[in-house]
Amino acid sequence: MRDHEAFSALVPLAAAGSLANDELAAVEQHALACPECARELEVLRLYARGLRELPQPMAPAQLLQRTQARVMEARVRAAERRRNGLLLTLLSVFSWISGILVWMLARAVAGGVWKVLGVDLMGGLTWSLISAVLMWMTAGVTAFVMGRRNELLRREI
Amino acid sequence: MILAATMQPESNSPADDALARLRRGDLDALESIIPEYQHRLYRFLWRMVQEPSVADDLFQQTWVRVMERISTYSDRYAFDAWLFSIARNLAIDHLRRKHPFSIDAPDDEGARPLDRLAGAGADPLEEVLEFERGAILAVAMGELPAIHREVLTLRFEEGMKLEQIAEVANIPLSTVKSRLSRALESLRRRVESSLRLGGTK
Repeated sequence: MRDHEAFSALVPLAAAGSLANDELAAVEQHALACPECARELEVLRLYARGLRELPQPMAPAQLLQRTQARVMEARVRAAERRRNGLLLTLLSVFSWISGILVWMLARAVAGGVWKVLGVDLMGGLTWSLISAVLMWMTAGVTAFVMGRRNELLRREI
Repeated sequence: MILAATMQPESNSPADDALARLRRGDLDALESIIPEYQHRLYRFLWRMVQEPSVADDLFQQTWVRVMERISTYSDRYAFDAWLFSIARNLAIDHLRRKHPFSIDAPDDEGARPLDRLAGAGADPLEEVLEFERGAILAVAMGELPAIHREVLTLRFEEGMKLEQIAEVANIPLSTVKSRLSRALESLRRRVESSLRLGGTK
């Protein structure tokens, strides 16, 4: 009985042609003496054959050309994203460097101290905060302009 | 072990050359590679999503993804298994978006297209053999859960070994075996019960 259960569990895999030769031989040997498994094997083999002969959907015409065009478009967009990322990085670096240079220049001109409403604008921390805010505003505006440009380009495509 | 089973022997066929060109970023190589896989890949996607227009879109997305990830592909393994695993993941993502419930869940019990195809007769098996077996099986297969359709089409239409199916579906070999058995049994039950219902009408 236990043998029957073990073999009947292998019958679908035998029908699917997915057993090793020795396992398949054992299942077929068992089926010779077991009408239930023999019938099951026969039926499932018919289903397996039917599945191999299913009506085949064919790829539509021009699929190759459309796929190539889409891959090309994706590649152009990826290159543009990389370019935009690089440009933003360069702008950020430029913004930091110019901020430091302007700070050094302003300190030299103002003699080290420039107070507005009691706040020393020449202090390192204050200047850094102002620079950071300006940099993020610049990056935001740049990203917006680039986004608009990309959208227009996409529409043209 | 699964990967070892799908490893390829070294060869220098035109397909390998095209693959090497593709890995160097040569888009023209797609002209050689896509035709080689297009019917198989489209058929697999069609079976998975059951909608020609979606299969068409996923086919294109698959190749876009191939180009994005070709640098991560190792030619020690079968390209088709890698390709089908990408397509499979896109199809599963689509099915999850479309049907937020588990893709493993059986379909609703309602009016099924299979019922309309069912004929009258005493022996369902004989009917399957005699009348529109292919169409009936295709409809029944379309009613199976996606993970069952997947394993059946990969095994019987693509002729993949169980180890390759495990790699494509990213599941253990033991799961492939049990899933294949259940899928076959489930397909048989659907065909037989529908034919029986048709016969009693």
